[in-house]
Amino acid sequence: MANEPSPQFLSSVRLKYVKLGYQYLVNHIMTLLLIPVIIAISVELARVGPDEILSLVRFLYDLDLIYTMSTVFLVIIAGTVYFMSRPRPVYLVDYACFRPPPNFRVPFSTFLEHARLVPQFDERTVRFQVRILERSGLGEETCLPPANHYIPPTCSMEAARGEAELVIFSAIDELLNKTGMRPKNIDILIVNCSLFSPTPSLSAMVVNKYKLRSNIMSFNLSGMGCSAGLISIDLARDLLQAHGNSNALVLSTEIITPNYYLGKERAMLLPNCLFRMGAAAVLLSNCHRQKNRAKYRLTHVVRTHKGADDAAYKCVFQEQDSEGITGINLSKDLMAIAGDALKSNITTMGPLVLPASEQLLFLFSLIARKVFKAEWKPYIPDFRMAFEHFCIHAGGRAVIDELQKNLQLSDRHVEASRMALHRFGNTSSSSLWYELNYIEAKGRMRKGDRVWMIGFGSGFKCNSAVWKCLKTVQTPVEGPWSTCIHRYPVDVPAMVKVL
Amino acid sequence: MEFLATLTTLLLFFSLYLILKHYYLKLYTNCYLIDYVCFKPASDRRITTQTSGQIIERNKTLGLSEYKFLLKVIVNSGIGEDTYGPRNIIEGREDSPTFDDAMIEMDEFLNVSIGDLFAKTKISPRDVDVLVVNISMFSPAPSLASRILKRYKMREDCKIYNLSGMGCSASLVSVDLVRNIFKSGKKTLAVVVTSESITPNWYSGNDKSMMLGNCLFRSGGCVMLLTNNPAMRSRAKMILKCLVRTHIGANDDAHNCAMQKEDDVGRVGFHLSKGLPKAAVRAFAENLKHLAPKILPYRELALYMYGTVKQLVIKPKLESNSAMARINFKSGVDHFCLHTGGSAVIEAVGRALGLSKYDVEPARMTLHRWGNTSASSLWYVLGYMEAKRRLRKGDRVLMISFGAGFKCNSCMWEVNEDLQDGDVWEDCIKNYPPQTLVNPYLEKYGWVNEDTEETFNREERMESLKW
Repeated sequence: MANEPSPQFLSSVRLKYVKLGYQYLVNHIMTLLLIPVIIAISVELARVGPDEILSLVRFLYDLDLIYTMSTVFLVIIAGTVYFMSRPRPVYLVDYACFRPPPNFRVPFSTFLEHARLVPQFDERTVRFQVRILERSGLGEETCLPPANHYIPPTCSMEAARGEAELVIFSAIDELLNKTGMRPKNIDILIVNCSLFSPTPSLSAMVVNKYKLRSNIMSFNLSGMGCSAGLISIDLARDLLQAHGNSNALVLSTEIITPNYYLGKERAMLLPNCLFRMGAAAVLLSNCHRQKNRAKYRLTHVVRTHKGADDAAYKCVFQEQDSEGITGINLSKDLMAIAGDALKSNITTMGPLVLPASEQLLFLFSLIARKVFKAEWKPYIPDFRMAFEHFCIHAGGRAVIDELQKNLQLSDRHVEASRMALHRFGNTSSSSLWYELNYIEAKGRMRKGDRVWMIGFGSGFKCNSAVWKCLKTVQTPVEGPWSTCIHRYPVDVPAMVKVL
Repeated sequence: MEFLATLTTLLLFFSLYLILKHYYLKLYTNCYLIDYVCFKPASDRRITTQTSGQIIERNKTLGLSEYKFLLKVIVNSGIGEDTYGPRNIIEGREDSPTFDDAMIEMDEFLNVSIGDLFAKTKISPRDVDVLVVNISMFSPAPSLASRILKRYKMREDCKIYNLSGMGCSASLVSVDLVRNIFKSGKKTLAVVVTSESITPNWYSGNDKSMMLGNCLFRSGGCVMLLTNNPAMRSRAKMILKCLVRTHIGANDDAHNCAMQKEDDVGRVGFHLSKGLPKAAVRAFAENLKHLAPKILPYRELALYMYGTVKQLVIKPKLESNSAMARINFKSGVDHFCLHTGGSAVIEAVGRALGLSKYDVEPARMTLHRWGNTSASSLWYVLGYMEAKRRLRKGDRVLMISFGAGFKCNSCMWEVNEDLQDGDVWEDCIKNYPPQTLVNPYLEKYGWVNEDTEETFNREERMESLKW
């Protein structure tokens, strides 16, 4: 009796097979329709016999040479023009993430001790920060730049430039090593760093250090938040469409040094607890030569900006508190706004990536709810059919939880995001690249896999990019996870007791 | 037979369609400037000799040698009495700028000029596909581009880019960005917003290399509407012909010559080193190398080639840079918009290109009327030419700007129709060029040059100047 499956289980299994059958039918409809047509033609050919076929061929030979030549010529012209007007493919040759040295580590005990020694923080402020840290999902190995270890932290421009040079140059050095790219061959340079923008820009700093060419197309994006990495990728893609045979270096980072908040406003203390140092350098190309060495191909980028709504605009806001100290204010409805922005984004993304079966289902449920006023829940398309891997910006534990719920993802799908948050903290725009590196380091990236990167940022923006893997990534992978991947995944408790 | 004839005809039509589609795509790669609006700050933001004197007097760290230096700089700057500054400086709070002060300075510009542009061109904000903002020295989160999107309720899928830290030549960088997006072949409408933030960047110390910025930079901004839609060509003021960007940051001296950093005491300021003119010359030469073949007529290029060959082969002892001076840039260009970095910059560029007083007049007058408004200065110069009714259909306008990094960016526009809109210059163009450009500072503060360290007594002198 105990071995007999329960009726609910049986019905759910049956439902699963029905769903599978439906999906197979809709997604392969063209093939399924074509088969009877092919059968009919073959039967007809067999019936007609070989003689008539031969006579048809002889008929073609007898035709005017001009006719045949012009037809062939026209076909060639048409083919060439068609191929020339297609958008150029954009390949991701390789990428490298900054590996923070262990002496920059900020375990919870260090954070607590440092916060207590900073004269501007009173006991209440310290306790608040530590409570946030306990529930943040961060681990004990996240890193802060040297200036933030001083008591009190030195937020000078010189220290900020020092941090920028450290993280940016090591990421680029590693990337140039890995790809063998010579700096003189870089045609496009895009740097994005939200909260530190000196003059001359960080892009000029990179041009100076690596002696890039004088006709380089360089752009320095700033203030665009944690989703700026994908904005840079979008810009690189547009530039690579306009210029053939080009290489683009995209650098995403966030400089922590000048942004340590030394005030008492609670909503502005959150970034102290969550933001950590990191950087990622990405090499994109549309050169045909790079196609064989490239790891990924960029298929879609969708950008959504909810700034027209006042609440969305103000939810991540840099301002001065009542004492005149500048910090970033994170509002309480951040999660709701993020969910809303995501919905807008996937409304545009869905039709581009979802298979026909899911789109039809969504359409049916929409019609049913709007026209027939059926009381069904809105159908959430199953994005697991469109993507094998998900990289969700590691903004914080709450963001990842919210997205997991919204997209109905399993724990394995969000594992990369959670583990990146645990090991590196919120590295802002470069977090997506640490997560991608995790998936590769775990040996899960196979040829043909599709990756969905979702970034959120101040404004409020939700940007997403879809990559297709061009070759299976072999382990072990050289990168920020090399020394610790064997310890992951770890179980991240809801709360770690520090105080 | 008929079947093949039909097939041929069908293929012919299809291939014609594809070829036409391909060339139609090429049509979209043109960049049309529909219109532009410069910013005129409120009249209570004027900075006069009196205001400047008061500001200098408030800075107690300045001594006699600093006063002498400041007088020399201000007298030789070519800046007049009608330039504008940010409110907090005029109100005496330049030493402690708040975040809100910086935002107010930006809002005054963004809330006025962009609305004016939309009204003038009768474009709705929801039609804008691309928004590029470049404000070099102030970059809050969320970005100023987001702030504009919110203020004017632009679309969700509008592509916004916020460039920062790219110096005084950033407006051409923004135009370059837009130009590249236009090449994708889709009909796009783009807005470029360019300005500079002075409030949070006031230098309150006494390092001379950092005080220059205080003396020269003034408030200003410009908003432009660009498109690649051929249907709007008839409404366009100008068409972009070419754009050349040069970045010589690979050279350490060039990279460090204009840098934002802390002085010995830890105050942040914009350091302009003595090597700046040399870096500017190198960048300019490099830029001209790429620009000349694109803008000069073949005859001029042939003459240059002949001159170079003659020099290298026949008379190799002559100096190499005399060949460059022999190119007559005026053969390919009718009007010159030079970056108003300072009167020295304008004179130097004018000499290098062999320009007459008439050619450099717009830049000099812009410097006098508006000061150095950083990236937006080129557009004020263009406005002067338009107000003077100099721009006729078919004329070619060359814009040259320099910026920290070190960059030299230039572009050439072709005027699409006779331009008659004076915009911010309309009310004062009659007074230009003025009879005299002598700076009233010399008269008021000339005593500084006569004093020495022993005779200088600050309090006494300042008392005598109290008005």
